[in-house]
Amino acid sequence: MSMTAFLGRRLLQLVPTLIFILIVVFVLVRLLPGDPASAVLGDRALDADVERINRELGLDRSLPVQFVAFVKQVFTGNLGNSISMKIPVTQLIADRLPITMLLTFMAAVIAVVMAVPLAFVAALRRDRLEDSAIRGAFQVGLSMPVFYVGLILLTVFGAKLRWFPVGGYGDGFLDHLYHLFLPAVTLALSLSAILMRNLRSAIIGVVDAEYVTFARAKGLRANLILFRHILRNALISTLALFGLSIGTLLGGAVITETVFAVPGAGRLMVDSIYGRDYPVVQGLTIALAVLVSVTFLLTDILQAWLDPRVTK
Amino acid sequence: MTRLSLIATTAAVLLSTTSLVQAQERGGVMTYGRYADSMFLDPVLNDANVDIWILSNMYDTLLLPTDDGQSVQAGLATDWNVSDDGLTVTLTMRDGIMFSDGTPITTEDVIWSLDRARNPDNGIWNFLLAAVSEVTAPDDKTIEIKLAQPDPAILPALSVFNAAIMPKAAFEAMPGETDLEKATAFAEKPVGSGPFVFDSWERGSTLKLVKNEHYWADGADGQKLPYLDGVTFEVIPDDATRILRVQSGELDGAELIPFARVKELQDDPNINMELFPSTRVADIIINVRPELDGEPNPLSDVKVRQAMNYAANKDAIIQVVTFGVGTPTSSFMSSTTPLHTGDGPVFPYDLEKAKQLMSESGYPDGFTASILTLAGNQDELGIATALQQMWSQIGITLEIQQVDNATRTEQYRNGTFDMRAGAWTNDIADPNQITSYFAYSPTIDALHSGWKSEEVDKLFEESQSELDTDKRAEQYARIQEVFNQEGPTVLLYETPYPVALQDNVKGFNQIPLGNNIFRETYLEKE
Repeated sequence: MSMTAFLGRRLLQLVPTLIFILIVVFVLVRLLPGDPASAVLGDRALDADVERINRELGLDRSLPVQFVAFVKQVFTGNLGNSISMKIPVTQLIADRLPITMLLTFMAAVIAVVMAVPLAFVAALRRDRLEDSAIRGAFQVGLSMPVFYVGLILLTVFGAKLRWFPVGGYGDGFLDHLYHLFLPAVTLALSLSAILMRNLRSAIIGVVDAEYVTFARAKGLRANLILFRHILRNALISTLALFGLSIGTLLGGAVITETVFAVPGAGRLMVDSIYGRDYPVVQGLTIALAVLVSVTFLLTDILQAWLDPRVTK
Repeated sequence: MTRLSLIATTAAVLLSTTSLVQAQERGGVMTYGRYADSMFLDPVLNDANVDIWILSNMYDTLLLPTDDGQSVQAGLATDWNVSDDGLTVTLTMRDGIMFSDGTPITTEDVIWSLDRARNPDNGIWNFLLAAVSEVTAPDDKTIEIKLAQPDPAILPALSVFNAAIMPKAAFEAMPGETDLEKATAFAEKPVGSGPFVFDSWERGSTLKLVKNEHYWADGADGQKLPYLDGVTFEVIPDDATRILRVQSGELDGAELIPFARVKELQDDPNINMELFPSTRVADIIINVRPELDGEPNPLSDVKVRQAMNYAANKDAIIQVVTFGVGTPTSSFMSSTTPLHTGDGPVFPYDLEKAKQLMSESGYPDGFTASILTLAGNQDELGIATALQQMWSQIGITLEIQQVDNATRTEQYRNGTFDMRAGAWTNDIADPNQITSYFAYSPTIDALHSGWKSEEVDKLFEESQSELDTDKRAEQYARIQEVFNQEGPTVLLYETPYPVALQDNVKGFNQIPLGNNIFRETYLEKE
């Protein structure tokens, strides 16, 4: 099968996934106890107010009617208005999802930059001091809760050393990068630990493979063996893991964004779930689902490029 | 009634002069850390404290609450008078007042704003102005408010956020068909006449206000208020991060400091840990319906509820949950609420009396009941855990159920809960709002508890149009007596608003109703 056919097949697979997500998000958010009006009004809610608000939101209609209206909206690119903030959901997503995407992207880059070289060192110096030290350090990073790591980084590098701001998002692109550095490191820690461990064992597996021994026997240069034979083959499984981890990373952004006061989509999602802000929860879930699906697609393509067997 | 306005004005002048011992300094932008962002900056259609508590910086009202939140002072109106029959309020507009965009504030704006605020289709606050039947302007300096029946709380109602005066023309020029659509557009860049003007807003992050050059009030130095060039609100949901930002000097102040950290910040020489008196009360709300899930409900027995009140060691709970910051409530309403009565806890801790009451009740052997607390809320969990231990001594097994707010509200509104932790803050400087929700059964079944007292209902209805202050105080004294003794609550404590400020921040106030007042705030230069 050619690369184009492979791509076409993968894109087609996205369609049922997205339809499934539309249904699930619509149903799930309504299965939660409580309704938007009483969530927003809280203890002060009067029956008349709750009824009036639910009527204004069209929540007094039957579920199938609401679903049809929802699907129609989605296909016209209109995700409705936020119940608590009143403004269009598309505007909210456009404002806040890019922040989470930037944070996740930075975290992914940091995780790779930390994991790949160290995985090589650990694998090639297997069971020696370097290996134990690297694995030990990552183990600590992996086992510490994200909010705790975040607070420690904030206290030490923010409040004490003043190298970084104590949370917030800043003004302008460079300032954003500066503000997002500590949260990105926090988010990257556990991912880099997972990547490092996986890549290390993959490298160990490849190093001992016959084709590498053969390459060595042919007298190929060590660097060439390292990059063309070992890295390329070891990366295949790690790449799949990396792709899958992006979803987790987006989830981890929720906590990181709260600790570091970053106004991203993660926090918006949590607030909207608590507030039963149906349109925002629906819209954000769809946007995140598209984002994750595209990431999977990209990693699939990369994998196919690294390992032509994948497209077969 | 003009005497009332005189007293209020004198009190306001006295209060402001005593707080102005030092010379004010002008300039600077104050950054203030909040736990959550605002949602909808419309005075009428909002429904949450995150909006309410900062609105008065942007929107002005005819009357303003006094610094102690107990009474009113002059705002856009300089003089006010309630007729002897209590059916007409006449207000005199201040000279030369303008909105922040420089357009004059006219009686037309006032009439339109109040009509919008009292429209029963608009938002959830219109009940505060329910007595109003017509707003007119006999001349361009005078506003006349006609009431369908006398309303002793009409003056405080005119100082509440929802009675803010908005620019009619600017609002109506907004895109959209309905009031909500126009309000949504308007609230994205609101125009009012408060001491500050909306500048910019990045949702979830920062809300910037700048000085309103057209604000009417003068500062102590004879120049226009406010002293600050601006206020920037930063949203920092995590308590520890918010405190860290104050400690690192990145914020000039931060709200809602957890009680556990108050002592530590009081000891910090660079930080002024303020505890502003509030109207916030914490209690346990009890479902007193005779049957729950088809079973007889032990909580419907008044002796059981009194036993629970006596067995609850308020001082211990205050120590554990508020780290000594709170004080026991002496009534269901906070001691800062006008017409509050009581002195010391209604049910001082007395285990023997509690056991005695239990043995006299219909449930001498005790029973099992559940309590709903907000998941992730340490205060409520602390209260519930303490009560679990305390009530086990009178034979009550307490099951703690942690749920999220919407889930709890649903069970609450359906009346299917046993007990829940509750907290309340007043929005108006009058006892009528809290009493309507807590004790007057037609509003929400007395906190959805199913509790009903004919006497309290009758007294409340009478008090709602009682103009004789002494008589109204008597009515409220009796309402509190009945509710406190027999009502559907376990009364716990009241707490102040904990705000951490840098040492050089002066003149900031959070009034008991919660409003953050930056109008006379200034930053001392070091």
